[in-house]
Amino acid sequence: MRAKTITEEELCTFVADLVAAGTRVTAPVRAAEGKVDYRAITRFEEAAIGAELPRRSLKEFFLPPTEPLFSWRQGKGDVTVKPVSVSFPPHVVLGARPCDAAAVEILDRVMGWDYRDELWFGRREATTIVSVACPGIDGSCFCTATGRGPDSTRGSDLMMTPVDGGYFVEAVTPKGEAFVRTHAARFADVADPGTTVAAEAFRARARSRVAENLTLSLPALRSWLGSSFDHELWRTIALRCHGCGACASVCPTCHCFDIVDEPDGVRAGTRRRNWDTCQTARFTVHASGHNPRTDQNARFRQRVMHKFSIYPDRFGEVLCTGCGRCARACPGGMDLPEVLKTIAALAGADGPREAAV
Amino acid sequence: MKELQELARTLLSSGTVGVVIGWEEGPRGARPAFITDAADSSRLIFDHRCTHNLATYLSPRRPHMARLGKAAIVVKGCDARAVAGLLRETQVKREDVVIIGVRCGGVAADPAGAKPLTAETVAERCPGCTAREPHLADHVVGEAQPEPPGAPTRDARIAELDAMSAPKRWAFWQAEFARCIRCNACREVCPMCFCERCVGDKTEPQWLESSPHPRGNFAWHVTRALHQAGRCVDCGECQRACPADIPLGLLNRKIAGIVADRFDYRATDDPTVPAPIGAFSMSDRQEFIL
Repeated sequence: MRAKTITEEELCTFVADLVAAGTRVTAPVRAAEGKVDYRAITRFEEAAIGAELPRRSLKEFFLPPTEPLFSWRQGKGDVTVKPVSVSFPPHVVLGARPCDAAAVEILDRVMGWDYRDELWFGRREATTIVSVACPGIDGSCFCTATGRGPDSTRGSDLMMTPVDGGYFVEAVTPKGEAFVRTHAARFADVADPGTTVAAEAFRARARSRVAENLTLSLPALRSWLGSSFDHELWRTIALRCHGCGACASVCPTCHCFDIVDEPDGVRAGTRRRNWDTCQTARFTVHASGHNPRTDQNARFRQRVMHKFSIYPDRFGEVLCTGCGRCARACPGGMDLPEVLKTIAALAGADGPREAAV
Repeated sequence: MKELQELARTLLSSGTVGVVIGWEEGPRGARPAFITDAADSSRLIFDHRCTHNLATYLSPRRPHMARLGKAAIVVKGCDARAVAGLLRETQVKREDVVIIGVRCGGVAADPAGAKPLTAETVAERCPGCTAREPHLADHVVGEAQPEPPGAPTRDARIAELDAMSAPKRWAFWQAEFARCIRCNACREVCPMCFCERCVGDKTEPQWLESSPHPRGNFAWHVTRALHQAGRCVDCGECQRACPADIPLGLLNRKIAGIVADRFDYRATDDPTVPAPIGAFSMSDRQEFIL
């Protein structure tokens, strides 16, 4: 499909019409406390596209912080189980950051691996993700080092790049193409070849800006991690880490959850799943009281290992999109890009101990 | 700064301590530093971005810290109240810690901010601070600093909340707590949340629902605030750590006001002053019983 353009004015009527037709539209919005969040909008004018990175990523629209899995009621001699609905109304995310869109697709791997998570995929199928190419936020961005980039189309159905007066629009997936076809009147053909050039220039500038922050050899990193579980680096890596898990809650790819049963009065209850994080001591404590991850150093090692060794071993790509939120949110000043830089230097100095895969 | 670095070097090279807990320059502004080698003492800094209350690293539930040996800790006057809290509640022995007090002129709300300290950038708790001169200290370094910029705002915000009708105030906190995702950052950074096993983590029985829904969030925040009554040292770390920017400091400050009113107790850096939760006085008001 050929690239299109759309104006800001058109987006205003488009969003209003989508909402009127029953589509849920989510976009970055400036909240009362001054920060930006992805939230439901009814008018395009509410959206803060191109402002700072939203506090949390898009993952909560597919894996909410808490959600019921089913509820039950105990009767006389039997139990009635009431499942939750796994069908969802149409949803458009407008103005997703490419790092957040990529994360959702990366998570499709684990969510559909040994069990196809109906809630995750129910929401995925109902959602069209329209990303906007990012100019790069600050020195904590490292998307290019994770194999993605500020203009990466991974996970996006449509990619928009800001140009004068509107956006340069490219369909990425068949779902994105269908979206453009369904709403063909909203989009215009690219009239001026200068628009294409301007869009590419915007993206090239963003890529080089972010690439200045960090470059990594992911295979070398993975290889070093695979053979360095007992490396001395881990003994003091997380002294300043509080084990609070703020990093995981803002992370677009951290997806661990806990399952709890909560009573709804007597003889009835709801089973829910809630976000969880390997950064807390409680995450691995056994019923006996023994905790195989003895301290915060071991817990932080797990976070790095899962993202850059375990997940690529199983699913072929790193579990990180380089959004930098963990570094920005950390109250103790832990900095994942800095840690990766340290490991990259060790991996380079020591050389890969196993053949890079 | 030189004075602080020299002191750290002496403490480490003489073997007096195994680690000096202070601040250093990080990739995103000032951050906690753990100096174990005297040669690294020159990394230590102190300026208006040193917002973090480092006393939380003395908590006994951090075994990886204990392995570094006896600690020297750099504290602002306000942070010293947390060290006093840990001493008062017998979590730390006085002889096991060397306290280095620094004179403070107020700190920024965001330690990553490179901006100068102004009424806009200063941490909420700083304007009007009366704890800037450290008393609970083995060493005090630095010159006297000017008053923090800005005027106190929190008590006015609390008065605004108090003036609301109960349903309106309920709606205010419901809206704030609605953003909570129960990451527990508020608890983990808190120097006074040192329980080996928090009531919020207990499952048999489960006192508090762990789900981030209105019932669970309300139960968690109110329980934590009550467990901090007369114990909170007003360092503001819970609010700074919160990834959802919930104004937890307001809740703690409100309760501190009630404790001050009823028990004439205010957070102090004097560890010999008993906290009201651990003290009984015949003059305690008990009209609510009858």
